[in-house]
Amino acid sequence: MSYYFTILSPTDTPIFNIAFGTSKGGGDGIARFRFPDTAQYMNQFIIHSSLDIVEEAQWTNGGMYLKHIDTYPPAAAYISAFLTPSGARFLLLHQPPQLPNSGSSGGLGSSSLLGSSGNLVARGSTSSIAANPTSPQTEEAVRQFMTEVYESYVKTAMSPFYKQGMEIRSPVFRTRVTAAGKKWL
Amino acid sequence: MPSSTRTVFSLIIINKAGGLIYQREYQAGLRSLSTNDYLVLAGTFHGYDPPHNQCPLDISTSLDGIPIANEYLRHSVHAITRSITPKLPLAQTSPALTSPSGNAPVGFSYPNPGVPASGLEHLETEKFRLTCFQTLTGTKFLLFTDPMTGNVDTIMNKIYELYADYVMKNPFYQLEMPVRCEAFDRHLGAWLRGRT
Amino acid sequence: MSSSKASRIGEEIWKTRIDKVNAELVTLTYGTIVAQLCQDYDSDYQEVNKQLDKMGYNIGMRLIEDFLAKSGVGRCANFRETADMIAKVGFKIFLNVAPTVTNWTSDNNQFSLIFDDNPLADFVELPDDGRAQDELWFSNILCGVLRGALEMVQMQIEAHFVSDVLRGDDTTEMRVSLVRYIEDEMPPEEE
Repeated sequence: MSYYFTILSPTDTPIFNIAFGTSKGGGDGIARFRFPDTAQYMNQFIIHSSLDIVEEAQWTNGGMYLKHIDTYPPAAAYISAFLTPSGARFLLLHQPPQLPNSGSSGGLGSSSLLGSSGNLVARGSTSSIAANPTSPQTEEAVRQFMTEVYESYVKTAMSPFYKQGMEIRSPVFRTRVTAAGKKWL
Repeated sequence: MPSSTRTVFSLIIINKAGGLIYQREYQAGLRSLSTNDYLVLAGTFHGYDPPHNQCPLDISTSLDGIPIANEYLRHSVHAITRSITPKLPLAQTSPALTSPSGNAPVGFSYPNPGVPASGLEHLETEKFRLTCFQTLTGTKFLLFTDPMTGNVDTIMNKIYELYADYVMKNPFYQLEMPVRCEAFDRHLGAWLRGRT
Repeated sequence: MSSSKASRIGEEIWKTRIDKVNAELVTLTYGTIVAQLCQDYDSDYQEVNKQLDKMGYNIGMRLIEDFLAKSGVGRCANFRETADMIAKVGFKIFLNVAPTVTNWTSDNNQFSLIFDDNPLADFVELPDDGRAQDELWFSNILCGVLRGALEMVQMQIEAHFVSDVLRGDDTTEMRVSLVRYIEDEMPPEEE
C-alpha cells in the first residue's frame, strides 16, 4: 500500500505533505503509486477533491476521526480524514497495490508502475491493513496514525516560532510523521 | 480588639542604602512620629547616613534642633553593635565550609565573603521589643512588638514572604523605592489581624 | 552545606511551599516573548539575547527575595555552595529542574550547569533562517536571572550559554563565572 498524507490549514492551505509506503508485512516504506512519477500531482488532485465530502462528513460524525470518507475508483484511491478542533484537516490517501477484491485484475496489474506486482501481491496477502483499505483493522490503524500525528502537530504548533497557517517545515515533525507511519501503517 | 499580649505595634522597612521605604502602625494610640523622625530612625539604625540630596531630611535640626554630627549617623546603632561583635577564630569554622580545592588554609574560596556579624537583632524595653531582621540582600525589617509577643521570628518570616510576594514580585514596584503596594498593605494587615 | 542537603531543601520547598502553574502556560508565555522579541528586533539575535538577559536580570533582583524568604537558607560559605544552592534549590523551586553542577575550574570560580530538561524550551524549534541556530540563545533569560539574583547577595557573576539542545547540541550548558564579591556594597564591617 502507498500513502499520501497531507495537512490542510483551516483556510485550506496545504501546510504539510508526505508520501510513504507501507511498512507492515515486510514493506519497505517506499511509496509506489499507480501514477508515473511525473504525475504525482494526481495524489494532490484526488485528495483535494475529497474536501467537499469532508465538509459534509464532519457534521455527521461527532469524533475527530472521520474514517474512510471517499474513494476514487479509477486510481483505487481511498481517502481517510481527521479533523482537529481548530479546523485543520489531516487527509490520508491510501492506494493498495491492486484492487482489494480482485487480486487477479490484469488490467491494473499491467500498469507500468506495477512491474513488480507479484511482489506487491505477496506483501498484500500477509497484511490485512495493506490488502483491504476499508477493513476495520485498517480504520483502526489509520486512527492510531492520525492520533499520533495529531499529538505531534499540537506540539509543533506550540513552538513559538510557528505561526498558524504557515507551512510546517520542521524536520522534527516530518520525522515523527514518518515514524508514526512506520509504526501503524 | 486583639489581645494586647500578642500585639505587633508597627513595622519599618529600610532599604539597603538606609532609606526608609515602608512604615505602618498596627495599633491605635501609638505616639506617632513625623516622617522626618522616621527617616532619622531608619538612618540611625542603619549604617549609612542618607545622601542629603536624595533625602528630605534636614539632619542638623530634625531632632528638636539638636545638631547631629554626621559621624554619629555613620556610627549608627546597627554598625556599632556589629563592630563590637567579638571575632571568632577561624579554627571554629566548621569543616563543611572548607574549600574543596584544599589549597586555601582558611575555609573559603577566594575572595572570602566572610559571614558578617549580624549586628543588633533585638532591643527590648518594658513596653516594647524591637526586632531587626536583615535579609541577605541588605533590606532591614524593624518590627515593634509587645515584649510578651512570642514567635517573633515566625512573624518576621511571614512578613518577609509577603514582602517577596506583593512587593518584589509586583512588576510595577521599583526596587529600592518607597513601597506603595496596596496589596501588600492589605495582605499584611489581614494576616496580622488574623493571627491574634 | 552539602549538595544532598541542598537537594532535600529544594525538594521539600517544591512540594510544600510552591504554587504550581500549568507548565504549558509558562512555556508558551516565554516562547511568545522570545518570538516577539525576534520579530521586534528584525531577527537581530544578538540583540534578542541581550534583551532576554536584561529581562532576566530584573527578574532575578526580585526573585532573590522570594527565594530567601521561602528557603530560609543562610549565606553560602563559598562559591561551590552557591552553585549547589542555585542548582538544587533555586532551579528546583522555580522550574522544577535540578541541573548538574560540573566542570569546575581549579580556582573554584567557574562552573557549568548542565540542563537535562528545560521547561522553557519544550516544543520549541528555532526559526530555520540559517542564523537562529547559530546566534539565538533561546533560554538566555536564565543567565540574566542568575546575574540579577546573585548581584543582590553581593556576588558579581557572568553567565552565558555555551550549548543548547535546541541548536542541535548534545547538551544544554550554561557557564557561570564569579567575577568578584561586591564588598563595598555590603554593610560596613567596621568604621
